[in-house]
Amino acid sequence: MTERFPGYDVLAKRDTPSWNDASRRVIDHRLALEDEPRFLTQDEWRLLVALCDRIVPQPPHRPRIPVAVLIDRKLQQDQGDGYRQASMPPLRQAWRQGLHALNEEARLRFGGNFVELAPGQQDALLELLARDQVRSEAWQGLGAKSFFKGRALHDIGSSYYAFPESWNQIGFGGPASPRGYVRMDFNRRDPWEAVESKHV
Amino acid sequence: MSEIVPQVPRARDGRAPDVFHVGGWVPMREYADDDEVDFAIIGTGAGGGTLACRLSEAGFSVVALDVGPYWRPLEDFASDEHEQFKLYWRDERIVDGTDALQLGRNNSGQSVGGSMVHFAMVSLRFRPEWFKARSQLGYGHDWPVDWREMWRYYGEVEEALKIAGPVRYPWGPHRPRYPYRAHELNAAARVLARGSEALGIKWAPTPLATLSAPRGDAHPCVYRGFCIAGCSTNAKQSALTTWIPRALAAGAEIRDLAMVGRIELGNSGRVTGLHYHREGRWRFQRARHVVVAGYSIETPRLLLNSACPRFPDGLANSSGLVGHNLMAHSNQGVYGVMEDEIRWYKGPPSLAITEHWNYTDEGKDFHGGYSYMSQGPLPVEWVGTMTGNRGLWGEALQREMQKYIHQAGLKIVGETQARDENRVRLADEKDRFGLPVAHVTFSYGDNDHRLIAHAKRFMRDSLAAAGARDIWAEESETAHLMGTCRMGDDPSTSVTNADGRSWDIPNLWICDGSLFPTSGGVNPSLTIQALACRAADRIKLLAKRGEL
Amino acid sequence: MRAAKLRHDRRLSRLPALLSAAPPSPRPKPDVQALSTRAARRLNRGCAWLSAAVLADSAVEHYRGMFFNRAMYAPLAVSSLTLAASVHGGSDRSGKSHPVRDGIYALAALTGLAGTGFHLYNVGKREGGFSFENLFYCAPVGAPFALLLAGLFGRAAERVRDTAPGDVPQLFGLPAGRALAGASALGMMGTVGEVGLLHFRGAYHDPFMFLPVSVPPAAAATMAAVAVQPKRPRWRLARLLLRLVQGLGFAGVGFHAYGVHRNMGGWRNWSQTMLNGPPLPAPPSFTGLALVGLAALDLLEERHD
Ligand SMILES: Cc1cc2nc3c(=O)[nH]c(=O)nc-3n(C[C@H](O)[C@H](O)[C@H](O)COP(=O)(O)OP(=O)(O)OC[C@H]3O[C@@H](n4cnc5c(N)ncnc54)[C@H](O)[C@@H]3O)c2cc1C
Ligand code: SF4
Repeated sequence: MTERFPGYDVLAKRDTPSWNDASRRVIDHRLALEDEPRFLTQDEWRLLVALCDRIVPQPPHRPRIPVAVLIDRKLQQDQGDGYRQASMPPLRQAWRQGLHALNEEARLRFGGNFVELAPGQQDALLELLARDQVRSEAWQGLGAKSFFKGRALHDIGSSYYAFPESWNQIGFGGPASPRGYVRMDFNRRDPWEAVESKHV
Repeated sequence: MSEIVPQVPRARDGRAPDVFHVGGWVPMREYADDDEVDFAIIGTGAGGGTLACRLSEAGFSVVALDVGPYWRPLEDFASDEHEQFKLYWRDERIVDGTDALQLGRNNSGQSVGGSMVHFAMVSLRFRPEWFKARSQLGYGHDWPVDWREMWRYYGEVEEALKIAGPVRYPWGPHRPRYPYRAHELNAAARVLARGSEALGIKWAPTPLATLSAPRGDAHPCVYRGFCIAGCSTNAKQSALTTWIPRALAAGAEIRDLAMVGRIELGNSGRVTGLHYHREGRWRFQRARHVVVAGYSIETPRLLLNSACPRFPDGLANSSGLVGHNLMAHSNQGVYGVMEDEIRWYKGPPSLAITEHWNYTDEGKDFHGGYSYMSQGPLPVEWVGTMTGNRGLWGEALQREMQKYIHQAGLKIVGETQARDENRVRLADEKDRFGLPVAHVTFSYGDNDHRLIAHAKRFMRDSLAAAGARDIWAEESETAHLMGTCRMGDDPSTSVTNADGRSWDIPNLWICDGSLFPTSGGVNPSLTIQALACRAADRIKLLAKRGEL
Repeated sequence: MRAAKLRHDRRLSRLPALLSAAPPSPRPKPDVQALSTRAARRLNRGCAWLSAAVLADSAVEHYRGMFFNRAMYAPLAVSSLTLAASVHGGSDRSGKSHPVRDGIYALAALTGLAGTGFHLYNVGKREGGFSFENLFYCAPVGAPFALLLAGLFGRAAERVRDTAPGDVPQLFGLPAGRALAGASALGMMGTVGEVGLLHFRGAYHDPFMFLPVSVPPAAAATMAAVAVQPKRPRWRLARLLLRLVQGLGFAGVGFHAYGVHRNMGGWRNWSQTMLNGPPLPAPPSFTGLALVGLAALDLLEERHD
């Protein structure tokens, strides 16, 4: 796929009026996070990274987004979302059990650890979770579909689109304070917004 | 994972943050726990913040407590969705039901200023008939207030927030001119306008609580689009930037990072004050009157958590209605892709509205009404819609996200019926203060489903007429909370009277969204504030008559 | 009377550029032709202010519109030419009109007319049609109108200049002084309409915003009265009010600069606040119109001398 917003980089606006101190502080901190687990074990971490790669596959020629790190830190801080399905265990337990069950399911179906499967197999497996067609006992008390949709998709999608690189990919303006936007009409953009390639 | 969060209270030592100046302070009067204040208010949002202002201006001594922090938006708010999750109520709540509510980000805040700190600023009046829904429209319950009286208080609130609205509002009885002019429309709003004109219905620029011209120390809107992540320019007119500064100036005390765990009942059958947790310990504030304004989940939770031998089912609950009849607005979106660049992340998210189906009753196979508005979700919210509603992932997800700047959408604020089984009760689980958390059950009823289906059909047609393709509709979405402590004229079928005074305990009041007997098809905050202003005037009157 | 006026002129001549001031050294006993030329030059200077305002305003506004349509360059080009022609006319002591200037003014009038039509069409075709909201935010109808005025007054300047010695200058079959007094009143009211609309959009949040919708209408009313019945006692009041309007044009820039500062990020965030804040270049249109009115009074006074 050709790039949709060639040459666009949200971070190039860091020192313009589009960013205030608070935004700089927050994004700097996020970009400085060490791409290593603080809460998950190394095995869980590798599994999570592999899962992220399937949920939000990254375009080949772009800088890599460390999706998993935000989830690990969310678990480390045990920072929930403010609500939890009555049928679901709390955050940490849900992720731990979910990752474990995912691997169990992989072994059961394909005879190997999830991280070792081919991408096509991984996708096929995830498709089964999405349809709740799982065999492993390890899903007991969690639910494959609930975990997949309510935790995995939710947290992974949210983490991916927390990084400036993801904003470059979809043409989002990123931080915008004190300077917001002037031109809001159809097909209008401010000079500090992304230019869409005509060739997509 | 927020970086900029005050860990200790800011409002103390005789001063409170000045929201309009980086690092600024304003003087604040303080009361000792032993001072028996006239009013202790729990919650400083649309209801509590407004009431604190109006009561202190009337000369009462007021302490208003909020478990949330006291922000200075100019320095504390980043342009970042993740960071700004800090504005939401993120302590655990348990949800279930066929349409289990997604709380947190979607429904309630935890800040001085309440949910208004991250609200979308849509400021609408109820349709007059809704105040007599049962007797005039044949569903729901009558409100114990008259629409003409509410009309006056709406006017007061619109003035206090300098609402920016259209010169002529096309629906309902005459209303005074909005204090500020409507904002320029973004492309997303013009999509709504186009669709409406194609289908032959009226539309209007949405009346919004964000400045279209300077006001005092507040700047006009810069169209940055992060409104529901908090407004870092103070253009947004929330309780934090309007009522609360006024309350402080009039001598009220605001206590931030103060969690109220229990209201104490005295031997006389009146409440004597409240237990609250601040700076690591439990304290007790004495008060002549206690007002609960914690919104539709926390208000009943606190009343239930305050059960005592005399009221074993919770305070003010002789009707058994505390926690029942929880309403959320149906909030399904319909989205499509436009040939044009829309870039809907610019500007407040809902710049255009139609209330056509609030004011037209012909051709409906359901009770109630709905409005719908243009949309502008930022990436994290949008990906949540993609994964949560459509279950997209992998290449399919990334392909859809690529269309971000061409998306347009419409979303309803749909009336739901008050149903007994939708309710808030206490769970076994405890929160960080050791208090039982709320267990919230919600399912749509048949009428709600018919309304949603009608709205989705209509919005699809509208989007298509505006030139969108690949149109799809959300399934189970909700917004706003209402009800759980209904007001009414009859102690056996309501929790409070029209003034928010509980039937059971004469000095225990409620002043927030939980009072709503019906939900109406518009966003609730303007009505909550109008009720608060009305309550303040009533309290003044009762005090004069010696009936407090 | 005359002495007072000369004092005025000399004081104004201290203002920057030759655009603002009266002729450097008026001769003590001017003949009629010199007086018409003087009035013509004053008209030219009025046009200079108008076209300068149009140039700056359309540059900013059409930059905001990212020159989405090629035609959006037209007012820039034409108002630049008009400005040049007007500066030229303002310092030209010749008693004869200049064909190039005359042509440019005709072009300005036509461009202004076309622009007004185009902006009106733009408003009308949008969802909501001629609603307040569209009038607030769509292409402003008043801006090209200023160019139209510059063209018309410029043409008038050339006609006045052409007056034969001993003749009273005529426009539209009326003595030029009266015709111009009426036209300046109309022009001012048009501009007041635009300002009123935009200040209404700003909800008159600052009481000073009432100034440009109260002083110029007073001046316009007086000028209209002068046009209908040119009585000497009114001239003095008219002159005073026009001077106020002229000053308001300058003060307005200052107020608007403050307004830009009142927006988020202030001047540091100029790439937004200059465009979304109050328009800096708009107020000087009033200066231009006031000069036109003063020229009309000059013509009337000389008739009575
Ligand atoms: C994303 C979003 C967008 C919205 N957009 C709009 C909109 O455009 N228009 C509109 O009209 N409405 C909107 N709303 C809804 C609106 O914000 C709420 O309806 C309104 O603020 C509710 O007012 P309230 O006073 O009842 O409660 P809140 O404003 O929520 O205030 C309650 C406060 O009480 C505090 N509290 C609760 N319990 C305790 C306790 N035990 N001790 C101490 N403090 C406590 C909380 O921390 C909170 O600050 C939106 C809401 C959300 C979440
Ligand atoms: S768009 Fe306006 S109201 Fe919304 S956050 Fe930005 S400045 Fe505030």
